[in-house]
Amino acid sequence: MSKRVAIVSVAQNAGAESADNFYDQAYRVAREALDKAGLTREELGTVVTASSDIFHGGISCANSYYWETTGAFLKNASRQDGESLFAFFYGVMRILSGQYDTALVMALCKGSENPPNDACTLMFADPFYQRPVGLTETTAAALQMRLYMEKYGVTREQCAKVAVKNLDNARRNPYAHRKGDYTVEAVLNSGMLADPLTELEAAPKSEGMVALVLATEEKAKKLTDKPVWFKGYGSSLDAFFLGDRDLLNGQLGNAAARAYKMAGIGDPGKQIDLAEVTEPYAFQELMWYEDLGFCGRGEGGKFLDSGATAANGSLPVNVSGGVLANNPYVSRGLQRIVEATLQIRGEAGQRQVDKQVKTALAHGTHGFAGQCHAVAIIGS
Amino acid sequence: MGRAVGIIGVGQTHHGRRTEMSYPDLVREAVVRVFDDAGLTPADIDGVVSGTMPSMMEGIALTHFYFADAMQAVGKPILKTETCGSTGVSIAQTAYYWVASGMADCVLAVGHEKMNEGNAQATMTTVVEPFYQRYFIAGAPGVFSMQSQMWADRYGIPEDKIRDAAAYISVTHHDSAFDNPYAHVKLRVSMDDVKNARLITYPVRLLDVCPTSDGACALIFASEEFIRKIGKKAAWVKGVGYRGEEYFFGDSDKGVWQSAVQSAKQAYDQAGITNPRKELDVAEVYNPFTFQEMLFYECFGFCGFGESPDLVLKGIFNRKGELPCDPSGGVLCTNPIGATGLIRVAETVLQVMGKAGDHQIPGAKLALSHAMGGVDQFNGVMIVGSEL
Repeated sequence: MSKRVAIVSVAQNAGAESADNFYDQAYRVAREALDKAGLTREELGTVVTASSDIFHGGISCANSYYWETTGAFLKNASRQDGESLFAFFYGVMRILSGQYDTALVMALCKGSENPPNDACTLMFADPFYQRPVGLTETTAAALQMRLYMEKYGVTREQCAKVAVKNLDNARRNPYAHRKGDYTVEAVLNSGMLADPLTELEAAPKSEGMVALVLATEEKAKKLTDKPVWFKGYGSSLDAFFLGDRDLLNGQLGNAAARAYKMAGIGDPGKQIDLAEVTEPYAFQELMWYEDLGFCGRGEGGKFLDSGATAANGSLPVNVSGGVLANNPYVSRGLQRIVEATLQIRGEAGQRQVDKQVKTALAHGTHGFAGQCHAVAIIGS
Repeated sequence: MGRAVGIIGVGQTHHGRRTEMSYPDLVREAVVRVFDDAGLTPADIDGVVSGTMPSMMEGIALTHFYFADAMQAVGKPILKTETCGSTGVSIAQTAYYWVASGMADCVLAVGHEKMNEGNAQATMTTVVEPFYQRYFIAGAPGVFSMQSQMWADRYGIPEDKIRDAAAYISVTHHDSAFDNPYAHVKLRVSMDDVKNARLITYPVRLLDVCPTSDGACALIFASEEFIRKIGKKAAWVKGVGYRGEEYFFGDSDKGVWQSAVQSAKQAYDQAGITNPRKELDVAEVYNPFTFQEMLFYECFGFCGFGESPDLVLKGIFNRKGELPCDPSGGVLCTNPIGATGLIRVAETVLQVMGKAGDHQIPGAKLALSHAMGGVDQFNGVMIVGSEL
């Protein structure tokens, strides 16, 4: 990259159900991100939002509904569907094109106005074969979990430990929706959702307005003394029919390799100081460790057991509590970037890790058993 | 403008009522054709941009999942762009920015819609929120009829004149569709047929309205370096503009429609165009409604406000006129919504490459494409030229 792009400010709301209406919630977060950057709406160059109609309270064309609350009135703006890291990357692209020197990237999802997550994810399935058998993100994940445990001897206890770790981390995150001091036993006994997945091993349905301001290097230096730089990005899409896919060898490796190449990362386990990953199901965090190259294939459980990914470990993962603590579906990817940015800037409050975070990874996934993955690398 | 970006391949389905094939197969038809046209294979593609209308219209959510295989996107980086009716031009702009930013050298853009399997008007009714607007904005025609009335009233355009001009547009576009092998509705109509057609929402009649089409469109965008390397001819992107305005219909002035005016201005500024009627050789204006097409001519600076009906009736915008608009037959004859804006871009690419066949405008070098969406809310413009 000849030119550099920086994150200059971030804002998010709390994940618990809010009495605020969609517009107020969205406006406040957009406003906060702009205010922190010291930008007026008029000075702002472009806006890229992320939202999905299926997660938008029964209103179609989500961007139509909220356009002006994001500051996009009479601006050149656009919108990405499904994954908010797409919007992050599109914002970066718009700045690198040289046409804009600032961009507001925002993800909008008000979980409390949506049906249950899986009533929505059922609509990802085709109506002929997969939908009639009840394939959802949860049932697909349960199949994937069973395969993963069978093949690598990962135990249910190791999977449950991810929830224990993340929900405990969430206790130090004021924005987290679900949090608590749970034991492995409590997680395993929290009610069977889709065998072998239990309730506490699956993400909740949360509110999530998340915004950040991007700027060119020149502009960023005027707007903040703590710029966080865009270093790399990669994404990859898998085939549609679940039976056509190897659920234990998905597309995250591909996405990560692209992001690492762009960021010049050869040894992710050493060069990445902290990761925020999207783990809508606890066991997936273990699989993602492997796909991201933090540990060897099948060793995710052992890697967790070693304490490496704890908040005080060598490579903390989901210090925010992750998606198990806070799951505004479309917004969760951008929320990972926001959390990673706060850690790099040393502004993560009670959840700030002890060591210095220079390079951080943010990951997003959506679709059955991780049909699509996106990885972003940011750093000081 | 970042790196120079060219479009090197066009693939369209034969648009229409395609009940003989599934939705993924329809997407595949356009994608196979774009690779044939560009002489490339999926291995050459660095990224795929997909887009369509809201999930309610598709019957399936987050359609990039469903069409991953048909788009040859398995294992590829993907972006999913959706901006309502303007989706097609927004897809094209996403692909443009991906290449212009230097983040990719060759990007496939795909837009698609199988409208005969969905319910477009019911879906569009859910674009408006359930508390205030949904009660009186049922589907698209109501919004555009109100806009037409506001515009006619603003400029004191006599009812007979505006009716005649709209009918003229309908007749000429329907004639043009016979010269476009991909067009959906092919119907010879007279001025009287249009003026006496069934009333949909006053003043809009049946032959003033676009059809319900199945169709897909795919384009390949590439960097100058990539294009030079493979030695292909390209249509070069000269300008991209986009604007959105308020959600509540009554909040903004739809008579002097700022999102249309400003999106065109942004694209003109980038392309160095100061007199669009003179400098542009052809335009593909997003025209689901005849009356609205005239308002676009004015917002895009093809003529002054209130002047378009006279100029339409003089033939300024027909295929032999000073600035031919929608020689493909336009949206009025073909409207698979998620693809429609991309088809406008595709048609301008064909025109400046001299590949538009029977509806070629001789010598076309600079062309404007456009799409509109939302609750009369979004406008996007892309300008392509034969020279870098």
